[in-house]
Amino acid sequence: MKVTFPHLGNAYIAIEALLQGLGHEPITPPLSTKRTIEWGSRYSPEDICLPFKTILGNMLEGIELGADSVYMLGGWGPCRLGYYAEIQRIILHDLGKKVKFVTLEVPRGNWRMARERLRHIFGPTRTRHFLRGCQLSWAKLRAVEQLEQRSLQARPLEKDHGSTSRLLETQLQKLRMAQNMKTISRIKAETDEALQDLAAATASHAVLRVGLVGEIYTVVESFVNLRLEERLGRLGVEVIRTISLTEWVEEHIFKNALGLYNQYELLRSSRGYLHSFVGGHGLESIARSVEMANAELDGIIHIFPLSCMPEIIAQGILPQLSADKKVPILSLVVDEHAGETGFQTRLEAFVDLLQRRCTYVRKEKSLSRC
Amino acid sequence: MYYFHYHTLWQRYFENLGFKVVVSPPTNKQILGWGLSSCVDGACLAVKSLVGHSQALVKQGVELLFVPKIVSVSRREYTCANFLGLPDLLRQYLPASVSILSPTIDARKNTRTLRRSYLSLGMQFASSLAARRAWRDAAHAQHVMEQSAQSQFPVQGKLKILVLGPRYLIDDPYLSNNLCGHLQNLGAAQYTAGQVPEEASVQLVRVLAKPLFWSDARRSASALEHFIQRIDGVIKIAPFGCGAESFASVLIARRACERQVAMLDLIVDEHTSEVGMITRLEAFCDLLERKKSG
Repeated sequence: MKVTFPHLGNAYIAIEALLQGLGHEPITPPLSTKRTIEWGSRYSPEDICLPFKTILGNMLEGIELGADSVYMLGGWGPCRLGYYAEIQRIILHDLGKKVKFVTLEVPRGNWRMARERLRHIFGPTRTRHFLRGCQLSWAKLRAVEQLEQRSLQARPLEKDHGSTSRLLETQLQKLRMAQNMKTISRIKAETDEALQDLAAATASHAVLRVGLVGEIYTVVESFVNLRLEERLGRLGVEVIRTISLTEWVEEHIFKNALGLYNQYELLRSSRGYLHSFVGGHGLESIARSVEMANAELDGIIHIFPLSCMPEIIAQGILPQLSADKKVPILSLVVDEHAGETGFQTRLEAFVDLLQRRCTYVRKEKSLSRC
Repeated sequence: MYYFHYHTLWQRYFENLGFKVVVSPPTNKQILGWGLSSCVDGACLAVKSLVGHSQALVKQGVELLFVPKIVSVSRREYTCANFLGLPDLLRQYLPASVSILSPTIDARKNTRTLRRSYLSLGMQFASSLAARRAWRDAAHAQHVMEQSAQSQFPVQGKLKILVLGPRYLIDDPYLSNNLCGHLQNLGAAQYTAGQVPEEASVQLVRVLAKPLFWSDARRSASALEHFIQRIDGVIKIAPFGCGAESFASVLIARRACERQVAMLDLIVDEHTSEVGMITRLEAFCDLLERKKSG
């Protein structure tokens, strides 16, 4: 089966490996571009959130490349993501695309359809190949995450602008081709070394540390967030990303499906601000912000797509948190009309503010010591 | 936000428990204005008006505000993601002297838990026996109210129109720009999702390949199924940026298209003007009349 799937940051590297293990031929849609969003929003309901439109665009581009099946994640609320797949299936069907649409979710009621789906997914594979695919895919996902994490630390220190991003790109492509565990760990070590070479011997300025919270799709999908992490890195900011793909896969997908998803830790952190799960990453946004404010980070950036219900609640609560914990927070909303220049201006202003604040706070501290 | 569903229940219950219940006045420009000026800009119209209403109550000197956290009202369904964080969001906009009473109402596992959560709320203020008695009386009143809503069919009008959407819009003349009043003036008989019994609604929605997991959207989809033989047109109203309703719109529009029923999709926010609304309703009704007369 030629299977296409939507993008989620650099997760395609791991998804490809998994699909190969399952005996399918992965048709990876091209990385999201303006065309993807335009195409997706043309056929989407107008007031749906941006991830829906981009994902639909990915699917259409995947089908254009010759895919005959589409795999998409499902769910049971309260976030809209749970119903994405069903609406996308309807839209593709109405557009006359002859594809098999497979929604990956815990079945409820309709067992015949569930069996059909399972047969479609696991039909062409053997257990041995499947297990190997799982292992490779998980290792790749973790490696992707690690490389990205390292590059976040390295970027504010780089000698010439853009070198980290270029290196990351080539290493990710190598990782995509990797066929065994050994190669993966070699690539990881190689990248670590190379990143150290890129760093300037002495940092010309103090590196600001800014936490990034928000809706997962806008956090990890660099096209949708207008390459936020790169922009911040270039402004000399180290980004602490709190949303991780591996964690999302583990907690939200597997544990949630089995009913083991435990929010106790998060609820404890967000006590006093938010006392329940609100769907998506709303609770995480608040809980992680509290944790980062306690860890004395210089600032927090909160990003989400327009009309995202869980994050709107978080956005309403964050100003109070900002005042209580004395940490600057910038809320950014993205949709298909987000303009790069306005975005850059806001980031620069925010970073300027943080820098001034940082020197001011340091001065105050040294004064109090005298 | 579920006031229009449960106002009988809540009012009766608290009165039975010995509270003096103060209900905020119907939404007006001033109330919405308070909400708009303080609430976070991305929130939907209903949340903004809720913030306004609670500020209106605080200005009237209310000490205890009842804002339940309604996670779910029927099995395996949610109300809306916004409802889950509502008490916490509201806390930001109210002075610390006002306490918020927000029991969690969650019927995802089964609907019996509804009774239990109300009873445990009542037992904070009264003895267990008194709470039970208060609950029985209030639940009965609610049941009578729902029954009468279901049997209340519209008087004959020349056009039969099904009005779909969350009740915090339809039943609120200010937020919906008096949608129902204008339809009445245009001589249309209105059907709503409230006239479909809950059990029938759960059954009817099986026509969908995947059940909707938001109660309001599910009710809308099944009401269309229920009335589809009898109506001339459908009007769907939703607040701007509502997640559940935007998906429900797709499903409803598709179904209406299949059965050749005309549909008008209205999205309202604080900038919607009444005049624009009237024009669209008139145009829609004209269209239906033409279609009917062939």
